[in-house]
Amino acid sequence: MNVMTVTHPARRRWPKVVIAAVTAYITAVPALAVSAGAGTASAATSGFGVNATGTVQFWNRAATCQANLCKVLVDEFNATHKGLKVVLSLTTPNEAVAKLSTAIRAGAVPDVVGLNDINVPVFSREGALMDLTPYVNALPYKRYLSPGHLALAEYNGRYYGVPYLADLSVLWYNKKLFAQAGLNPNQPPTSFASILADAKKIQALGHGVYGFSFAGDCQGCLGFVMQPDLWAVGDNLIEGPIGHQKVNIVGNGPLRQLLQLYRDIWADKLAPANDQTDNGSTWGADFEAGKIGILPGAYGFLPGIQKAGMLADTGIAPLPGPNGGYSTFDGGDDFIIPKGAKNPSGAWEFITWVLQKAQQLIYPSHGYTPVRTDILTPSYYKANPYNAVALKALARGSAPVTTIYNAAFNAPGSPWYQMFSQAVYKGDITGALQTGQSGFEAVARQAGDLAS
Amino acid sequence: MAQEVKERAQLVPSRRSPQQRAAARTGAWLTAPALVLVATFVLFPLGFAIYISLTDWPLVGPYHFVGFTNYANAFHDPQFVHAILFTLTYTGIVTGPIFVVGYGLAVLVRSNRPGAKFFRTVFFLPFVVGLTTVSYMFSLELQPSSGGVDFVLSKLGLVSASQAWTVNYGPALLAISVIVVWFASGLTMLVLMGGMQAVPDELYEAADADGASWWDKERLITLPLIRRPIALSLIISVIGSFLAFNQFFILVQNNSSLETVVEWVYQTAFNQYHLAYGTTMAVLLMVVIAVVSAAQFVLLRERSR
Repeated sequence: MNVMTVTHPARRRWPKVVIAAVTAYITAVPALAVSAGAGTASAATSGFGVNATGTVQFWNRAATCQANLCKVLVDEFNATHKGLKVVLSLTTPNEAVAKLSTAIRAGAVPDVVGLNDINVPVFSREGALMDLTPYVNALPYKRYLSPGHLALAEYNGRYYGVPYLADLSVLWYNKKLFAQAGLNPNQPPTSFASILADAKKIQALGHGVYGFSFAGDCQGCLGFVMQPDLWAVGDNLIEGPIGHQKVNIVGNGPLRQLLQLYRDIWADKLAPANDQTDNGSTWGADFEAGKIGILPGAYGFLPGIQKAGMLADTGIAPLPGPNGGYSTFDGGDDFIIPKGAKNPSGAWEFITWVLQKAQQLIYPSHGYTPVRTDILTPSYYKANPYNAVALKALARGSAPVTTIYNAAFNAPGSPWYQMFSQAVYKGDITGALQTGQSGFEAVARQAGDLAS
Repeated sequence: MAQEVKERAQLVPSRRSPQQRAAARTGAWLTAPALVLVATFVLFPLGFAIYISLTDWPLVGPYHFVGFTNYANAFHDPQFVHAILFTLTYTGIVTGPIFVVGYGLAVLVRSNRPGAKFFRTVFFLPFVVGLTTVSYMFSLELQPSSGGVDFVLSKLGLVSASQAWTVNYGPALLAISVIVVWFASGLTMLVLMGGMQAVPDELYEAADADGASWWDKERLITLPLIRRPIALSLIISVIGSFLAFNQFFILVQNNSSLETVVEWVYQTAFNQYHLAYGTTMAVLLMVVIAVVSAAQFVLLRERSR
């Protein structure tokens, strides 16, 4: 008898049924996701988005609902639409993309998502979003919608989203310090040269006052406030359609001027030494303390400025180009409807209701800018003098249409930050441009987006 | 023949009494919930992670099997290799000080003299606060000019001008290492203190009678008798260092020379959206941690008598 054939209980093989169940589970999840992603969500019916019923699952980023805008909108919608109920879920910071992709894979998507607009191309390229082209084209106010938001929602000539809310970059300045420095407090800088000249005059005031400030260790913040200086003259770092993009850094004149401006500010000590290590957590605090003359920042700084009692001394202007012009970063969210949504008609009804003027008008009181420029009337100017400046810039706003935005700009140690750091802190602008060019190209190549 | 019978007797389970079988059934039922949880939340995700690492798994959309391509790529990825080497360097720097400081603190608070409980709490407090909070706190305190660290050091005459601690490799690694030693030594203290308190007093009394010095007692009684707590504290410390993320992400995220493995995994998976490749590196990291932990267990296990 061969003793080796005796089976010890602890060494029994797994039952085939258990192996089959685990295998089925492992393969079922992706298979379900693939089938959900491959399905079409054609809903081109005449009654689409009108008198829908049921429930709409709405995901909104917690980061863009800080002053309860999304909650107020949902509550008001539910109060005025008896047959259709919107259920709001907030997605935690930095997890919106992962959560949505998981939902898509699992085939359990929400009906509508307020997605960071720079992330929309990542999903539209993969065919994960519902084609909204006929409905967007039918909007009577389409030409007034934020151009940057809308461009990010477009892929291969089709719309996969529509603007939801705007979180814009602007130029804040301290009118009191401008006056003390002998500058006109009603004349903010409108070019790189005037920024530098004004900053120098304000710096000369002394007593811990600085001419300029920036969050110098926050790559996302820098991209948010610096790129509009380039868009003001129609300049882009990434050009061409997704999948065939080119990097425009080496030989980019406006970019060289922009990096030179920040280098001069840093070398002349016109900004606090702390700026080099500001990772965004204290961005704008020195301005709120009344110690900074000029601060490129977010329009969302307004509540902090108000709270600090600085509003009367604060001016707002659009971010200027090298020799004039202006623009803004069309940040914020786009509405998207994932493929496989159970109630796309209800979702579209909610979206079009939010885009109505009445709802757009409440945005400023919740810290955000509307996405329709046709509400910019004299009465709007009077009621919202600060937001009106941002909204006016929205019409000339932009945002990079690419799937590599996070990797190229926002990632830790991103090519954008490497370029900024080398140029501004080390003074090597020529080398920085080469670093940026090769870094951006490497990221684009890895994503399969670089034109051959 | 006799040998064969003996082997068979060893391999064929002996018949158990009804009481033994009932006890075994009870044991199985009692451990079943834990086994189910481990299988659901550890073993299945682990198996699924390995499965993903063998594909080109994108953020959304279909995927394909690519065999061991991701693993081959990882070994030729200079950033991954750099992250591994840096993580090893960081682990080598902080493990010793965490143990020495933790041991010293445990010696201070192991007795029940007045104030010992208070100081135990104080020394353990940084760990309770959490590394994320501590890192954010120090992101302000390490600021040049306005931070508390510069203020104190300049008052002591140790630095002359304001220091941007988190900008350059050396000062940043020094600052983070000091923060982590301060943060983690409280846990080491707690683990070692438990072991020290379990050493019978009679051994120290006998040593005193023999005229042993304090150092002799530590070396010849305490250290040999707390090998298991020492092994546990070192393994916890080394695993924590291998998985370092929060302090580097919060304090020096833009300095690629200070990029840890977990940071690179995060960046690959959630900024570049290369989920399969990020998962592959996470699996490799898990293997390295398992090997290092096993080696520590072997090296620090009780010697057979």
